[in-house]
Amino acid sequence: MVPRVVIFEEGIDGKHPPLYVREDILQEGINPMKKLPTSYLPLILGILVAVTPACSKKAVQSGGDAQTFQERTAKSGATRGGGVSPNFPDTAFSGRENSNSLRGLDHDPSEERLNGDVGSYGGFGGNGGPGNNRDRLMAKSDPGAAARQLAEIRSEQLASAAAGLRDVFFAYDSFSISDEGRLALSSNVEWIKSNPSTQLKIEGHCDERGTSAYNLVLGEKRAKAVRNYLVELGVVPNHLSVVSYGKERPFCTEHAESCYSQNRRGHLVVRIGE
Amino acid sequence: MTFRTVVIAGFCASLGLVWIIESGAADVFLEATRSDFQKIPLGVVGIENVGGPESPEGRAKLGGRIEEVLKADVRRSLVFSLVDLSTLGIKAGHQGAAPDPSFKQAAGNGVSVIVWGKAGMKTDTKPPDVNMDGYVYDAGSDEVVGGKRYAGSTSVVRLMAHRFADELVFRYTGEPGIARTKIAYVSQQGTARELFVMDYDGFESRQLTADGFLNLMPHWSPDRRFLVFTAYRNRNTQEIDMIELATGKRWTLVSQGGLNITPALSPDGHFLAYSSSHEGNAELYRLDTRTKGVQRLTTNAGGDLSPSWSPSGRELVFASDRSGGPQLFLMSADGSNVRRLTFDGDYNAAPAWSPRGNWIAYVCRTPKKGYKLCLITPDGQKRIQLTTGPGVDDSPSWSPDGRHLVFSSTADGKSQIYMINADGKDLERITFTGTHNSAPTWSPAS
Repeated sequence: MVPRVVIFEEGIDGKHPPLYVREDILQEGINPMKKLPTSYLPLILGILVAVTPACSKKAVQSGGDAQTFQERTAKSGATRGGGVSPNFPDTAFSGRENSNSLRGLDHDPSEERLNGDVGSYGGFGGNGGPGNNRDRLMAKSDPGAAARQLAEIRSEQLASAAAGLRDVFFAYDSFSISDEGRLALSSNVEWIKSNPSTQLKIEGHCDERGTSAYNLVLGEKRAKAVRNYLVELGVVPNHLSVVSYGKERPFCTEHAESCYSQNRRGHLVVRIGE
Repeated sequence: MTFRTVVIAGFCASLGLVWIIESGAADVFLEATRSDFQKIPLGVVGIENVGGPESPEGRAKLGGRIEEVLKADVRRSLVFSLVDLSTLGIKAGHQGAAPDPSFKQAAGNGVSVIVWGKAGMKTDTKPPDVNMDGYVYDAGSDEVVGGKRYAGSTSVVRLMAHRFADELVFRYTGEPGIARTKIAYVSQQGTARELFVMDYDGFESRQLTADGFLNLMPHWSPDRRFLVFTAYRNRNTQEIDMIELATGKRWTLVSQGGLNITPALSPDGHFLAYSSSHEGNAELYRLDTRTKGVQRLTTNAGGDLSPSWSPSGRELVFASDRSGGPQLFLMSADGSNVRRLTFDGDYNAAPAWSPRGNWIAYVCRTPKKGYKLCLITPDGQKRIQLTTGPGVDDSPSWSPDGRHLVFSSTADGKSQIYMINADGKDLERITFTGTHNSAPTWSPAS
């Protein structure tokens, strides 16, 4: 069997050129000297040990105690392509919860004290008193996360508007780029080439018709079509990333073709942040 | 594919039932509610407040609220038919454990089960303590067959009614009932979409995530303790996460670049099926939750997504656009024996295999380009369009008793969550607030 290759497209530290590492080397620690330029050796050893502060921090954040190296590198966004193993926590599925099972009707019933099961929370009639367990279900979320996302989205929008990048619009059910779309992309290429340090994100969007799940697939096809055409026009692939939002981040919400046509879009964004 | 399965698959086209028996799939179970199932006539006398109208329970209208929840649960059980006892001469106000003489008379008029109870509230404790007693009279045996006594804070009042309703269903069917089940869903919060969980009747909703971006398509673990879902933690990449409801603890399960969508845990929890495009286009994978090994299940140029497990865990139904628009396909859980299930229309997606095995619900595009719910038997022999009218219907998910579906629809304008019986009756909207509620998924029974 031919071993699969893990591609670090942007190099391991962002400075080196793309790095191709065989999966079996990463997994089993085969001496990388034989296969790779010597200059990479310290980097690879560093990854194999996998004790970089960024990695361990991520592991703590996600609560994963059994995360593999492969997953951590995946989380850091360094890898593309195959060979990255998913993971599953050992703690899960110790069995069905039995505390809430029914006890049957009794002639002389003893008192069952209800504390609410996993999903039972909130107050009687919607007004939670002090006795409710409202706190039980809330995710331990980073309170600043939402605000940070908003701020980053705003700066992305500002930077994208300043760049004057034009979007590509698609026909219903389609991911092929129209003549108008080709024109828009050609006009973008000039800006992209004169700003070689910029990372561009191509978002694939869909209108509200169809299922959420399939629209994510369609959105990815649209984003990839845009990327492929930009690459055809000479843009370096490393500067482009794609993401599908399906119908989950529409530009407008009316149920009319005038709105649908705006939502069927390959949207170009100047990438900010992580 | 073995020679045997090829032969059987050949038979399948004309003899679907034979194929199911031959392959030993055992995914079609006998239904407790056949179409000719006779519902059990049940009457609720009332849940009386122990004190008068000026008592704490009277002011809180405690009994009336429990009674309202209980009656709705009884109606939705589809095991009982709710009888109006006032027309049979049974007066409200009955509280004690002994049956009223009028019950026997009601039994003569065809009522099989009579339920009544009382509710009280103690305000000198903090939080106030609520009590509910419920009694069940069986007309067949002309006696009180049992009761329940619940206590708890004001936050569990609806749960008292739900538990009592489930005890009734359990007593008469041996099934756990669905009144204590939950529905997880996605709700718009500002510009973000976050995960929520609510009771099956749409009440007591709780927010689970607050990432400020997109969390999509939750799916329950078989033990009801976890949800798996798609998250975009940094806006640029998708991952499949798992969250523990009781603690909010979160794990990243799959993070490979590209799409990581439509996760579904097998009925025994041993496998996570999902779709990922990290090797090019969207393909289905199966993660063994014990060995952590991953197996790729599909290999073709089309997008494969939305796997849904058969109740036995031996088969998967999924959507694929390998032949043009999305269509439903079936395969064994190891990726072998793939065959196309849907041939009507050019868009069939989002399949959900009934926990009873006999139907697969999905979204079908109608000739007028509407997106509606359809049902098809796993042998492809029978197909029904379940919903009609305007709006985009999406994300069907079965109740654990296989008698109901929950789904999202834009029929009333904004996307909201609805419930419908598997026979197309009793369409009921269950979310009313917010600008967008979608991707409902029904929990297993507890």
